Amino acid sequence: MSSSDSNSSSVDDPNPNPKPLDNQLETLNLEQGSGSIIIQNEDDEEGRQQDQGSSLNGSLNVNSDNHEQDDRIGLVRNVVWRRTNSEMEVDVNGPSSPSSSGYAGERGSSGVSEDDEIQEVAKDSALHGVFDSQAAWLPGKRHVDEDDASISWRKRKKHFFILSHSGKPIYSRYGDEHKLAGFSATLQAIISFVENGGDRVKLVRAGKHQVVFLVKGPIYLVCISCTEEPYESLRGQLELIYGQMILILTKSVNRCFEKNPKFDMTPLLGGTDVVFSSLIHSFSWNPATFLHAYTCLPLAYGTRQAAGAILHDVADSGVLFAILMCKHKVVSLVGAQKASLHPDDMLLLSNFIMSSESFRTSESFSPICLPRYNPMAFLYAYVHYLDVDTYLMLLTTSSDAFYHLKDCRIRIEMVLLKSNVLSEVQRSMLDGEMHVEDLPGDPLSRFGSASHLGEHQEPTDSPGRFREPFAGIGGPAGLWHFIYRSIYLEQYVSSEFSAPINSPQQQKRLYRAYQKIYASMHDNGNGPHKTQFRRDENYVLLCWVTPDFELYAAFDPLADKGLAIKTCNRVCQWVKDVENEIFLLGASPFSW
Amino acid sequence: MGMATANSGGSEGMELCIFDLRRGQQEGQELDKILFFFPADLPFSTQLSVIGLSEGLITFTRIFSPEAACELIEAERHSHVFYEAEPDIWMVMVVEKSKEAEAIWRIDALREVLKEIHSLFMMFYGPVREMLEKDPSGGLTRAHLYPFVMDYLSDFLVGKKTQLPSFRDCLKEFGTVQMLTVGREAAIEVQSLVRVLESGAGATHCYSLILFQDLLVSTTLSPDDTINLFAYAIQRLSPRALSSGASSWSYLRRGSTPSHVVVGPTFATVSVSDQFHHLPANSPSQDNSYHVKRPLQHNRWSKGKDGFLVTDIWGTETGSLIPSTPTIWLQQTGERMYLCAYQYKSLTLILLVPLSSILNGEQGVSLVKQQVLENASLKILKVEEKLSKGWGGENAYHVSGYRYLLIDDDRNVSRASPPAKVTTLAKESLLAMSKLREEVDLEKSRSKWDNADRDKDLEICIRVKNNAWVIARTTRGKELYMVLERANETLLYASDAFEKFSDRYCGGAFSLD
Repeated sequence: MSSSDSNSSSVDDPNPNPKPLDNQLETLNLEQGSGSIIIQNEDDEEGRQQDQGSSLNGSLNVNSDNHEQDDRIGLVRNVVWRRTNSEMEVDVNGPSSPSSSGYAGERGSSGVSEDDEIQEVAKDSALHGVFDSQAAWLPGKRHVDEDDASISWRKRKKHFFILSHSGKPIYSRYGDEHKLAGFSATLQAIISFVENGGDRVKLVRAGKHQVVFLVKGPIYLVCISCTEEPYESLRGQLELIYGQMILILTKSVNRCFEKNPKFDMTPLLGGTDVVFSSLIHSFSWNPATFLHAYTCLPLAYGTRQAAGAILHDVADSGVLFAILMCKHKVVSLVGAQKASLHPDDMLLLSNFIMSSESFRTSESFSPICLPRYNPMAFLYAYVHYLDVDTYLMLLTTSSDAFYHLKDCRIRIEMVLLKSNVLSEVQRSMLDGEMHVEDLPGDPLSRFGSASHLGEHQEPTDSPGRFREPFAGIGGPAGLWHFIYRSIYLEQYVSSEFSAPINSPQQQKRLYRAYQKIYASMHDNGNGPHKTQFRRDENYVLLCWVTPDFELYAAFDPLADKGLAIKTCNRVCQWVKDVENEIFLLGASPFSW
Repeated sequence: MGMATANSGGSEGMELCIFDLRRGQQEGQELDKILFFFPADLPFSTQLSVIGLSEGLITFTRIFSPEAACELIEAERHSHVFYEAEPDIWMVMVVEKSKEAEAIWRIDALREVLKEIHSLFMMFYGPVREMLEKDPSGGLTRAHLYPFVMDYLSDFLVGKKTQLPSFRDCLKEFGTVQMLTVGREAAIEVQSLVRVLESGAGATHCYSLILFQDLLVSTTLSPDDTINLFAYAIQRLSPRALSSGASSWSYLRRGSTPSHVVVGPTFATVSVSDQFHHLPANSPSQDNSYHVKRPLQHNRWSKGKDGFLVTDIWGTETGSLIPSTPTIWLQQTGERMYLCAYQYKSLTLILLVPLSSILNGEQGVSLVKQQVLENASLKILKVEEKLSKGWGGENAYHVSGYRYLLIDDDRNVSRASPPAKVTTLAKESLLAMSKLREEVDLEKSRSKWDNADRDKDLEICIRVKNNAWVIARTTRGKELYMVLERANETLLYASDAFEKFSDRYCGGAFSLD
């Protein structure tokens, strides 16, 4: 516990009182006192109003009550989610009923019709390009009416549970935690039974199901899944869920259990369902969750430099980390001397910010903990959205730096606007990542091929584009997709999904295939292996691990081996050619 | 001494139990569940806790996976391997993991051990459930299981340690049959020998199994029964099993632990079985009220003057000194059969005659034997000669540059590089292959649950840290695993080497076009 600030002092309280503890999780809402300095354009404001109107489920009423306490809770609990990919773990037979969504369950049903919600989804996804077009993933917790006696609950493909070492439920992806107390106690019994025998249970396998256990002091995490993901991946996901919890509470929550083993943690996490469900959703689309690397928004070198320079200026004035992101992609980031930011922390932080709508609607100053940086202490994050998807995070150790950080943000925002960085960011979002169709044909004549990266050109006069002729078959030699991870930079670049990996189902399947080959290559104790070629009925996957980079490429299952290898070499060359634009180079926060 | 040995057995890292979930459901009667436990001298509380955990997880996993309950528990220090041998009759093996002691396991290989124990038990005694129904106290079953499983496990003893199949055995497949490749001419000879053999016992339906050395030449049994009888034959009946007294398993392991074989027959095996077969005081087999035959006991078979193999395991016929002919139970037909084994040089012939067809017991059996000798002797000589001529010796199936395992799942047949050759591989390569097999095992079991009739078509080539290539290929019910250590570094070269092997030795089954 790093400070005496009222927002973070109560975990040590010998008699934990739910209300002040709740403060831990809440973003300090400064909307009321700070309206005058919010810089935003009309459209933006409208967009936000609409967001609130359509999805906040009555939180406007709460806000107007002007009770600060309620207000904060309201902000955390009533959130609108960024829609990205679709969720296929649940049957998507139309939108779920109002009563089955987490926030509606807490707040009562909203006056907003389902149509509005869907419109919102559609509108939102228009910005996200093709592969978001079938977005059907809905925020928050679903199926709260279920419990372990429900057949439907038992048939869910992937469950996640957090429980305390006394068997008290803390979080469950599906169903109502309170109704799952008995089930939770069973999980606890299994873990402690094995522990009493001097061992520690890691995995139970039954048919297609795997039960994965992770013990973190007094916190137990369990995943029950029939998704065919490797044990290592599921375990990594539990680690991230634990990390997300630490990000919200810090590890000092352990002390509550030392004082009272039967401590009930659910109030501490009240309203954060959305944060966890968003993270769990990212386990099926975001490669950062298993690559332990982050990805950058493609930008011209000069543009990123400009953004970096202004972040650098503020970093010298007591800011620990200054991060500018667009959705889950980094635009630029700067850290104070010797401070290094782990990619997993970035993933958890950006998930936390993006999943909570309150960050979108106002500038915020929130206590957060970076589990890889220091799991015991809170940092303070000043968060402000510069446009719909682009947000600035300024992290500091000082709990009273809000006004200073606000000044910093104003300076940064002005520079970014002046130097057109924000418009470049938006343009890059539209252009997307590298397209396999653009892979330069001949390694010797590569000029102009990557023109869509950074410097925008109309697709039609872009010489490297062969989308029309290649339509439906991906890139050369049957190349469908690739991920390139720079080990030294801890960054990856993932090509845009292209035909025939169009539907969210296909994308998720490919994602899982990558996950599997990643686990296979990074076999504990034995790995990493150097090369892997894997052919099944869906793909040819080629993986190449060197001390500098890892390449994962997916081809048509009928692809020719020799051509596929040549194509991989070309992809690596291509990435090297445009690394100025797709990676953040020379970022200081990483220790080397 | 027995106690001490069993104790060390526990600490050396293996427990094996068999229990019946239909028994001991009332509180205070939990012990009734236990049908077998190794090591037997573990306190009952410990035994019950192993079974309690197993039972708990079987129940728990059925919540989500009613069609397939718990198969495995992986803990930090142990793996618990489950096998439901018969409805509600479970076998669980708990093995300790240790990198230093090379205790790195492939789960499916361990499960195959459990399967084999059960299938062999069934072959001699019939289903466990039936035995439990015959004697609901469970005493009869326990009295049979204890010596049987202990005799079986003694094959895995090296020194004082139970050496179960580990990553070093990744190019080996338990529960399959190894075949001798015979030329066309020899095959015709074998065919005619089989006809003569099986007609020897008159009109009744007989079955036969012919082995050359430790390889199968011909069978007329169902696949499951063939696997079981083949396993028993190479463990206890083949010329090598008879002469060395060493277990077939240690024979198979020979490459990796040559010292064992050197000491094997004269000294080590004796002392080992001495220790192992000294049953602890509380063992159920002390109960002499059951007459238990121990078909897996070592050194109990020998070759008689007439060439037929004899054993006193099945006792003697009442009122005479003539040993009783062993009988086995066929899984497929549910029939009980007399087992008559004849050996000539490297050739072992097993003839199975239905009990029901022979009315006058041993007399009738010896009549059958006599007929076999009369009708088939010449043919046996001829076949032996033909097969010996064509036999390429121990390393007959070695292909230089390759270390491989080929499995035909439809026929339950496997062929592999000779064990002595496999031991030349680096530990790293073997570990990687073992891991790769585990991956393929998982894929196979998944596709089994997804869609029973579609075989997984899969090709995986991995270049390991030590630059070896480990390759797995599954297609249409066939699997081929390969380690190439001194191959060129390119994937294309490795694939090419693989294709060449497939074309030449697998009839192109694994070739892409």
